[in-house]
Amino acid sequence: MAQSSEPSLKLTGVTKRYGDIVAVDYLNLEVMPGEVFGLLGPNGSGKSTTLKMILGLVKPDSGFVDVFGMNTQEHPVDVKRMVGYVPESPRIYEFLTGLEFLDLTGDIYGMNPSEKKKRIEEYLRALELEGREGDLISSYSEGMKQKIVVISALMHRPRLLLLDEPLSGLDPRSARIIKDLIHELASDGVTTIMSTHVLEIAQAMCDRIAIMYEGRLLALGTIDELRREARMPSSGLEEIFLKLTGTSDIRPVIEALLR
Amino acid sequence: MNWKNVLLLIGADMKSYRLVGGKRFRRFRENKVVTYAIYIGACVLGSSIGGLVGSFYNGIADFQLRDLVLQGAISLFMSLPTIVLLYGLVFTQMSQFQRIGSKVSVQPLYWFPITWEEHTLASILANVFGVPLAVTTFVVSGIAVSSIFMGLIPLALVTVFALIVSVFMASATTEISKVLQVRISGAITKAAGRAAIWVRLFGSIFFFIVFYAVYFSLYSQANPLVLLEMVSSGQKTLWFIPYVWPGIALSYLASGLLLETIFFSLASVAFVCLLFLAATKLNIRYGLYEMPSIRVSRGIYVSGAGFLGRLGFSSLEVAIMRKDFKAFTRRMELAYIFLFPVIFTIMPILTTMKSGAEAPVPHVLNSFLFAYLVLLPGTIMAMILGGMMIGLEGESVWYVYSSPITARSLVKAKYSFAMLFSLAVTLLCSVIGGTVWTPSVKLAMLCSLEAVFLVFSLSMVSLSFGIRGADFREMPRPRMIRPMWVIINGLICIALALAIVSPVIPYALNFFFENIQASVQISLPIPEAYLYIALPISGIIACAVAYAFYRIALKNAENFLANVERYESLMFL
Repeated sequence: MAQSSEPSLKLTGVTKRYGDIVAVDYLNLEVMPGEVFGLLGPNGSGKSTTLKMILGLVKPDSGFVDVFGMNTQEHPVDVKRMVGYVPESPRIYEFLTGLEFLDLTGDIYGMNPSEKKKRIEEYLRALELEGREGDLISSYSEGMKQKIVVISALMHRPRLLLLDEPLSGLDPRSARIIKDLIHELASDGVTTIMSTHVLEIAQAMCDRIAIMYEGRLLALGTIDELRREARMPSSGLEEIFLKLTGTSDIRPVIEALLR
Repeated sequence: MNWKNVLLLIGADMKSYRLVGGKRFRRFRENKVVTYAIYIGACVLGSSIGGLVGSFYNGIADFQLRDLVLQGAISLFMSLPTIVLLYGLVFTQMSQFQRIGSKVSVQPLYWFPITWEEHTLASILANVFGVPLAVTTFVVSGIAVSSIFMGLIPLALVTVFALIVSVFMASATTEISKVLQVRISGAITKAAGRAAIWVRLFGSIFFFIVFYAVYFSLYSQANPLVLLEMVSSGQKTLWFIPYVWPGIALSYLASGLLLETIFFSLASVAFVCLLFLAATKLNIRYGLYEMPSIRVSRGIYVSGAGFLGRLGFSSLEVAIMRKDFKAFTRRMELAYIFLFPVIFTIMPILTTMKSGAEAPVPHVLNSFLFAYLVLLPGTIMAMILGGMMIGLEGESVWYVYSSPITARSLVKAKYSFAMLFSLAVTLLCSVIGGTVWTPSVKLAMLCSLEAVFLVFSLSMVSLSFGIRGADFREMPRPRMIRPMWVIINGLICIALALAIVSPVIPYALNFFFENIQASVQISLPIPEAYLYIALPISGIIACAVAYAFYRIALKNAENFLANVERYESLMFL
């Protein structure tokens, strides 16, 4: 598939404050179509706020967020129509069955009934939810709920995926399916922005990685570019991450805990 | 038993109410005076009333009257434990109902080194906080102060002891019934299979109706003195029911029978211990009981827009309405909404039956009851539903925010659901009212049309306030709309309802005066054609109100969808 040279996502000087706390500090970012982009950073570094600003859930104090050339604040509904979102700790309607929730999602995104049914069947089978689709979500395990949320983000074939810890709670087989699916979708031009704490996942899946710390963009690039920046040519992402975020000196912490 | 653990658990339970207090989560600082204001207030009020009663008693010069007041006070003391027990049962049970919808309220922290005895005791004591403890504080402080003036200190001390025992009995019974309710409803759910949703819904409605019938029959005692007399004289004949033993112990003390007093006091304490043991055993067995999963359907099917689609609703709007209908039939904390039409229908029918048994019911009363049944349930339903339609999304509201839902679609879907549901209630009540009271065609048409106007407009008014005042917190119980907005909504709806029906009020008054069996006949000079002019005017006012509030609702929905940060509790999304 021919991919456009226009970025799928463009953040220009985006800043977000909560009182005295600067959650995101003058963030500039461009993500190209078909790219799998990882957002890494310690807790409270501004990753989730960034994802929420991209979707238009949170309004930046300054700067602009453009998705496929559309400003998220000016065209919120058009942007949401093109996005699939998995929040960090989703609460879904527990009084619905898994099937009813996916049916609702299909209707909200305007899918036609036959396409909706086909997609639901495929995803339920792939993620081994067949046979439980008619049960109330309240009886699902956390992993099953996560699968339903992931399916609802993917089933309407969005052009941009915003995934906040998408693989949390998933069994290894389902996690592998989602990872491979994201890669296949990327080759079809679907852009993925993924926030995760699992550095192995980020290293394995992402074309480029942004490391955020206290709201600022600390480093950005492919894994090789990050290695060069950290001057750690043969290290894995974990060592690079700890060095760049200035948190590598963890030995004294462990010793203090063991005392 | 580790008492520190018990106190810590009670503290955690009390703190869960911080979440419904409208407090800010960031830099949270608790004002202890506000937290305990209800108990301080009850203590001050009880002491003041006790002091007033005592002063009044001391001021009575007539010896016979003094003795009469003293006997009355003794009789009151004897009745209080049983009355407090009854009210304690009602209020602790109500507190449990309110928590039905909360997922994580105060679950047994089974991974902590806490025993089931400690957990059960903490749960029983925590149940008492709120209205039951405030009522007990009020009564105890009143008794304590008044007894000093009346020279009844020994009796007052035993009364206070009996009250504490009674409150504990009530709370322990609620704890037992809570565990049993969960276990029994689990068994019913399992047995009902795919019909479980409906069995659960109708079972809950039936349970609520029986519960509230008992509650109202307690409250509707016309004369509290009759209730006191009934309890104080009747409890001795019910000696085989352990719940009245504290009251019996008091009555023996008042009669000077010390041995019997000690026996029934000890028996009361033994019964409390038995209740506590039973609650603990049940908690050990079923405290972590997992409700069986409910299978609603088999196989994969998808829905279309259906009938509503043909009426001009988009698939998105139909999907939202369908989802909301499922919420009302499957979420137990929403199922109580079905009680309103049932209670509103039963109450006037019972009134008619009661009056009809004594004397023929006057025509005007029949007409009034018909108008009441057609106008009120649907209108109140519209006000309540409109107000809660957005807030019922609860913590799943992130889904609405992240989905491509326009403000217009959201308002249309939510309004249509509230309006159609309330109209269905109006229709049902009209059919029942028409069958029971057989009104004239003119009256039936007038009431039905006015009911439609009210439902049509007030659903929109309430929705606009429901969006503005939405409350998505689900802990410790879902509120759906903030209390301040409930009041604003209620007041404005009443004012607008009066404005809508105002053109037909002269006709209604004329009808009333013409039909009332009074010695003086009053008739207003209203021409026959008046109604045919008044009704359209009423309809025009309703349309104007609905349109004005549609614009407000739309504006509120746009702000709501664009401003998730306003809802601080949702920032965890």
